[in-house]
Amino acid sequence: MKELTFAAATELAPLIESRQLSPVELTEQLLNRIHQLDSTIESYITPLPELALADARKAERDIMQGLYKGPMHGIPVGIKDNFYTEGIRTTVGSKLFSDFIPGKTAASVKKLLDAGGIMLGKLNMHELAAGSTGTNPFFGTQKNPWNINYMPGGSSGGSSAALAAGLATLATGTDTFGSIRLPAAMCGIYGLKVTYGLVSTDGIFPTAPSLDTAGPMARSVPDLALMLQYMAGYDQNDSASLKVPVPNYMENLSRGIQGLKIGIPTYYMEGLDPDVEILFNHAVEMLEYLGAEVKEMKIPELTMSAFSGNTIVTSEAANTHYEWLQTRPEDYSADIRTFFLAGTLLNPPKYIRAQQARRKMVKAFDKAFQNVDILLGPTIPITTPAYAENWVEQNLEVVIRCMPYTVPINLTGVPSLSVPIGLCSKGLPVGMQFIGKHLSEKLLLQAGNEWENTNPLSFTV
Amino acid sequence: MNYEGYIRQSLYLRELPAYQADIPIIHKLFCEMNQSAAYLHAFPNLNMETPITIVDKELMK
Repeated sequence: MKELTFAAATELAPLIESRQLSPVELTEQLLNRIHQLDSTIESYITPLPELALADARKAERDIMQGLYKGPMHGIPVGIKDNFYTEGIRTTVGSKLFSDFIPGKTAASVKKLLDAGGIMLGKLNMHELAAGSTGTNPFFGTQKNPWNINYMPGGSSGGSSAALAAGLATLATGTDTFGSIRLPAAMCGIYGLKVTYGLVSTDGIFPTAPSLDTAGPMARSVPDLALMLQYMAGYDQNDSASLKVPVPNYMENLSRGIQGLKIGIPTYYMEGLDPDVEILFNHAVEMLEYLGAEVKEMKIPELTMSAFSGNTIVTSEAANTHYEWLQTRPEDYSADIRTFFLAGTLLNPPKYIRAQQARRKMVKAFDKAFQNVDILLGPTIPITTPAYAENWVEQNLEVVIRCMPYTVPINLTGVPSLSVPIGLCSKGLPVGMQFIGKHLSEKLLLQAGNEWENTNPLSFTV
Repeated sequence: MNYEGYIRQSLYLRELPAYQADIPIIHKLFCEMNQSAAYLHAFPNLNMETPITIVDKELMK
């Protein structure tokens, strides 16, 4: 097994259950590493060492008394700071909420903690979950552990950076227009954007409510399955929550991809950086070698993604923030303020047109999934950029380049799993996404698990 | 009215702040949205589609 701080939860759980590993020892090692490294990585806004150790000691006592709860028991997890945590500061990465202490815990986090998860702290993020780089002038700019001059992506940049640096075993993320998958791709980890409504968003500060999802981030696919097992499920407090059975995501993960029909929309092959194209083509060859049937397909409706995504995200976010933009404009950094102000200037017909385009895309995806099991594309078209001096414009540029690849998934409500596919010539990870029809998370995890077995981060340009 | 004046005036009418440095960035985003809207022309019947909405189950009780 790898050293404890980089070990998978699914490797650690049997050791904890059999009392060969103490949750206290595991938590202490992670806290020590956070203490040593996080002044550089800046992945946490609020580390919670005392609480984490107290919870780890309780977990240890319970397990020693034979009260083992299951595979989350004693596993340390970092919580993105837009998930409410009762009695613990929740900033949403924003000066607006720098002193906000919620009176309740987000439903999905409560499930993880009730299952015995140990909360290590609240993770840093791009302000208000509305940017894609990981800059944050209020709580620190997150760094990519592969090279600290580069961005970890956003908005779940603290989550991806903490996982890549061995500062958490698991982490939560949210994804409105790519905020789980984009940082997962940039940091070489695994991130699952779930079917809209599968994981409750109750107790998560909204970005664009008709697109917002919450989901797991981890260093392995089985760990994603483990987290999702606890995070998924109906919640009457979330009006968009799906009342559907939750399958056993951990079961049959090794099913393989023999005979799986994979479609690559030609839309996803356009505008790629050369390194991304090389690594993606290599990944396609590997998938064929593993037994998948891969074919290109046209989905012209995807061309409406940028218009629809930008319009809906900025309009819905502007609605949430309208009064604060009027009364506290200085409490926003310029990249986010301009993004939201643009939304205030759009007119209702434009928003409705964007939602009509979205309907068209949903129908197009439904049709595509009559012919293939999974759609495939690069997670984002670019290799990870180094931080630029003008971070305000840089965020806009990254959003404009990447959103067309990530937001179709949010617009159509389908799930997507971002997995690493190798290292670009700068030595930073590149990712691709397995996209499935609604509620096909299990199939995506099975495909991702098979892919993970190829050791994709060993591939280089 | 030039784009800067238009954005500034629009923000003013909505009682929203118009920082000088923000205006070109907002303009860039608008340009991006306008360019991407051109793709809608390939779908002439788009206006016949029912817009996606968040279904509030409270309405269906």
